[in-house]
Amino acid sequence: MFDLRRFDRSTSVFVGLLVISFLLATFDVRAQGEGLGGNLRSGVQSLFTPMQRFAGLLMSPIVGSVDAVSDLAGLREDNELLQSRVRDLEEELADTATLRQQVAELEAVLGLEPPGELNSITARVIAAGASEFDFVRKIDVGSADGVLKGMPVIDEDGLVGRVVLVTDSNALVRLITDPSLSVGVRVKETNETGVVEGQGTGELRVEMFGAVDPLEAGYRLETAGSRFPPGIPVGVISESATAEAGFQLIARADPAIRVSKLDFVRVIIDFDPLELDPDLEEESAELSGVPPTEQESQTP
Amino acid sequence: MSGRHIAIAIALVVVAVVVQSTLLAESRLQLFGSAPALVVLVLIAVVRYLDPEPAVLLGFTAGLLVDLVGGQPVGLWAMVMTVVAYVTLRVRDRAADGPLVIGVGVLVLTLMAGGLFVILGTLFGLKPLSDPAVFRRLILPAIYNVVLAIGVVPGVTKLLEQRRPRRGWA
Repeated sequence: MFDLRRFDRSTSVFVGLLVISFLLATFDVRAQGEGLGGNLRSGVQSLFTPMQRFAGLLMSPIVGSVDAVSDLAGLREDNELLQSRVRDLEEELADTATLRQQVAELEAVLGLEPPGELNSITARVIAAGASEFDFVRKIDVGSADGVLKGMPVIDEDGLVGRVVLVTDSNALVRLITDPSLSVGVRVKETNETGVVEGQGTGELRVEMFGAVDPLEAGYRLETAGSRFPPGIPVGVISESATAEAGFQLIARADPAIRVSKLDFVRVIIDFDPLELDPDLEEESAELSGVPPTEQESQTP
Repeated sequence: MSGRHIAIAIALVVVAVVVQSTLLAESRLQLFGSAPALVVLVLIAVVRYLDPEPAVLLGFTAGLLVDLVGGQPVGLWAMVMTVVAYVTLRVRDRAADGPLVIGVGVLVLTLMAGGLFVILGTLFGLKPLSDPAVFRRLILPAIYNVVLAIGVVPGVTKLLEQRRPRRGWA
């Protein structure tokens, strides 16, 4: 027979706290980061920001020293790589000039407005999650700077992730390497669409639906639109793959960004995916073959 | 146990959360892509000197802070850290004191914390098992914690021991 008297006070507190934790987690998952959990998180984020900034200031000399040592080691290799890249870019530049002219002519013919540059603001990464399994970065811009939940975040290499929490002065960005974030992508070389999911570490998982063409190593993936502006580099296929039974194709890709070197990022502030008509989005996703999965199964 | 005693314990946990989310989160400073689980280590070290109820509450608070500073559902790390605090309490009165016991305790408790989070994370849809490096993320922080314990545990002892006599393996 179960005897409650065997429970001492600390055990009762322990069981009570476990129940509270479980309920908190359940409600937070169901509320998708809004409600009590969201308010608590905003408050704690604001409280911790000054301390994290201070810690960041203290650690910058340490990071600088480590960088200097590692940079020195790879300097020769980088130099050769850059020289080769400059030659490639010079060739590409020549091609681009012709293409630009063609695009301008086409736009004039179709009477299209040029899309123009999307406005973005620069942000500094000041902190990360406090556990090994938390793939987020905290940036030093917030709602006071025009940042809203859901806005895309990029750096010079490509898509970094999406804003999932905003306070007045800072925001939390979920990285594309997070397993709970999916991004609709288009293969630049074949124009086919699919979905990319993070795996926490290293490579991204690429899933193509109804793929006709195989994916070759080196093929570039970019955002397909919808919840992210189209054309942002997401990754590069790391090894070739062909469709199994002619339907589903699963491949791996290296992320375009270097997660280990995220110091500064840009938040695209004039792109608000929440303003999109969900019905329209769903319809366009179906038409393009991309399921409406550019969502987080788990959002704070 | 005085209020000052508890204040020191909370301050240590807050400092650990700040260091974990800044210095230890810096990929360039991580060895083999992983960092010590400093919050877990500090919690283990601090709980050794607290009364049972405040100790369990401190575990819950530490976990809640980890949840709220990061982007994971509120309550997951709170659950994990509450368990870590409770198990530490139960072990401290039963095991003998000594560096070896503390080292093994830190190793096992850190592994347990990571493992428990992976299980809870899977149940709550975080997909931690889809990470090919999940075992590395569990094992390396535990090993780093054992190494770091050489400095952290005596440091915490210095801060808290004079205020309360040690018990058991603590």
